[in-house]
Amino acid sequence: MNLKIKKGKPFFRGIHVPDRKELARDRAIEVFDAPSVATIALSQHIGKPSEPAVKAGDYVGMGQLIGKKSGFIGANIFSSVSGTVLGIEKRQSVNGITGDYVVIENDRLDKAVFLEPLKDREKETIISRITEAGIVGMGGAGFPVDVKLSPKTPVDTLVINAAECEPYLTCDFRLMVEKTEEVLIGIRLLAKALGVENICIGIEKNKPEAIELFSKAEDMQTVVLKKAYPMGSEKHLIYCCTGRKVPTGKLPADAGCVVQNIATAYAVYEAVEKNKPLYERVMTVSGDGAENPGNFLVRNGTSYSEISEKCGVKENVKMFVSGGPMMGPAMLSTDVYTTKTSSGFLMLTEKEADTNAPTPCINCGACADVCPMKLLPMQIDFYTQAGDYEKAEKIGGVKNCISCGSCAYVCPAKRALVQSITLCKAKLAEKRGGK
Amino acid sequence: METVIISDTPHLRKKRTTKGIMLDVLIALIPATVAGLVYFGGRAAVTLILSVFSSVATEFVWLLCKKTDFKTILKQFDYTSAVTGLLLGLTMPPLEYSLWYIPVLSGIFAVGAVKMLFGGTGKNIVNPAIAGRVFAFIAFSGSMVSGWISPAFGSLSSGNEVYAGATPLTDLLGGGLQAVGVSNLDLFLGTGVPGCIGETCKIALIAGGIYLVARKVIKFQYPLIYIAVTGLVSVFMSGTDWNVFLPSVLGGGLILGAVFMATDYVTSPNNKPASYVYFVLLGVVTALLRYGTKIEVVSFAILLMNLIVPLLNAYIRPRPFGATPVIKMIKDKIEAKKASAVKKEADGK
Repeated sequence: MNLKIKKGKPFFRGIHVPDRKELARDRAIEVFDAPSVATIALSQHIGKPSEPAVKAGDYVGMGQLIGKKSGFIGANIFSSVSGTVLGIEKRQSVNGITGDYVVIENDRLDKAVFLEPLKDREKETIISRITEAGIVGMGGAGFPVDVKLSPKTPVDTLVINAAECEPYLTCDFRLMVEKTEEVLIGIRLLAKALGVENICIGIEKNKPEAIELFSKAEDMQTVVLKKAYPMGSEKHLIYCCTGRKVPTGKLPADAGCVVQNIATAYAVYEAVEKNKPLYERVMTVSGDGAENPGNFLVRNGTSYSEISEKCGVKENVKMFVSGGPMMGPAMLSTDVYTTKTSSGFLMLTEKEADTNAPTPCINCGACADVCPMKLLPMQIDFYTQAGDYEKAEKIGGVKNCISCGSCAYVCPAKRALVQSITLCKAKLAEKRGGK
Repeated sequence: METVIISDTPHLRKKRTTKGIMLDVLIALIPATVAGLVYFGGRAAVTLILSVFSSVATEFVWLLCKKTDFKTILKQFDYTSAVTGLLLGLTMPPLEYSLWYIPVLSGIFAVGAVKMLFGGTGKNIVNPAIAGRVFAFIAFSGSMVSGWISPAFGSLSSGNEVYAGATPLTDLLGGGLQAVGVSNLDLFLGTGVPGCIGETCKIALIAGGIYLVARKVIKFQYPLIYIAVTGLVSVFMSGTDWNVFLPSVLGGGLILGAVFMATDYVTSPNNKPASYVYFVLLGVVTALLRYGTKIEVVSFAILLMNLIVPLLNAYIRPRPFGATPVIKMIKDKIEAKKASAVKKEADGK
């Protein structure tokens, strides 16, 4: 019995979704062809969009800065190809939001312009390198990592999110299996930047290969987690790994923890050891509608339609999803472009994707039973439909919602609970902003 | 691929639907229905058919009056009114054929006035089947009581072929099992015990309940709490006479009510803590009402308690994950009060 492996604290709520990871889990990471025209978003993270650092006609190398961080919460953006900037144009993101994009014509020379090598591996050097390399949380939210590594409250544990609880996605799993050493170095660098000794890696039970590889690391605690959704939620991961509860309305740092993702650790390794800024990532292409599912190293700014062409789309595809099927948005068209946070591209068939119309709520309480935050989604939905957002917050507890979608997954009436919750949150924010 | 669908997250959904749940309830009611037909024969069959037909027809006519397209109605139909109709029929005595209008009118009242008038599925405040039964009892009290007949099988213990009386529970509450001449086993199997069509054969009801629990339609704790609390309070009211426990649990419509009526989603609380409170209160109210009125009151108790469900929903809620535990919260409040009092005192000086 390896002492470095610990069982996670029980996690009673949440849901058990068929994970469908078998579609792509055994496919090794392949390098995806660089796009002939890279269309790179200037807003790939939470926070202010970056300011363009290039103009039409400029020649940029691969890894050259094209978007400069603006504001405290922001990140640098880098070119993923070498070539000539065609211009800065308006395009739509996967969410359908219009923003500025730098369009670069690829000259196929891949002239690399990387960062300066680092002299040492001290705390400040690593953090400034992370800022420089534009690394954001690659689990999906895209929160700048340097901000997370400078918490306001004392922190003693770094929790690595290797749960990958979203169905279909296997990109983190492949990184863990294929790039174990690199990821471990990245994790150690993150711990150093944070100034903590204690490292917990939370891995779901359905990845035994990864658990075995990671439990060999002497300086880390591997926590085997139950297979449940949303295990990868920060608050629940912290609870299962350390037994601490993040107080409501507080940040993980208030419980003395910082959570980072596997892909983020790998990006940190590349930035520090290889001087490579963040301009590409591993992405899972999956779903019953994909002819060749797999894991690909995709450069930022690659069009989704290029990926779908390469991987093949079956006739019966009904829905394209960017990211995981539980939280990722459905795409209006595939003429959108990958970013630092594009973890998946799913082609779902009618059989997989739910398209039922909502029916009246029958008050069955299934949503409340599975809500990992112990909220009352049916009440939020009810009061939001009635336009009483204050009551939705008071009785339903909408402000604690992590938008995981467990409630809508189990709802027998197929109600759009997440939509109501999102609307309610937006309305409440609007109201507070107005005051 | 011609069209892509855009929908809200999550894109994966459990396959269970409202329709599926209602179908499960109908399946769970099959044993009780069959038992009722075997025990009470043709009169039971007519009562059941009439109540189911009138309930379903009421929903269709209501929606047609609202100028809903017939195809849409068929598509929307989620079996809720069929469940209502069947439950309503099962809670009625096997009525004489000349009383055909009772199940018909009760079905119309249950679905029309109690469910559709309030907005249809999911919007009713009280359980329509219960309301329909109570309506029948109040409007046609004489006919309803005259409807009691003995089942096709006599009592196993005493061999009494015919048992005369309104309902054994009435006498039970007054005099005990010996006065009635049936044993606990008789009550359990429904042999020799007159009663409503669906309530006499407990083994059929329990089989249905086990099916519902296995299909995860209901939680086993809730009916168990209700039944146990009713039994215990009855024992307590009779001066801790433990012989009262089984008859009060097995007699009357308690098991039917606990498994199929009280657990109705729409009219029971929507979260676990509130549900526990609800079912305990329901047990207490049932036992007390029985003790006070000496008649079978499960339906009245559920009807009354349905009315306080919105209150329970509003005031008893689970605390969010990560919220300060209640005890600590109270302690903190007391300490804060103390601190402010000390401060005030200091300020005053």
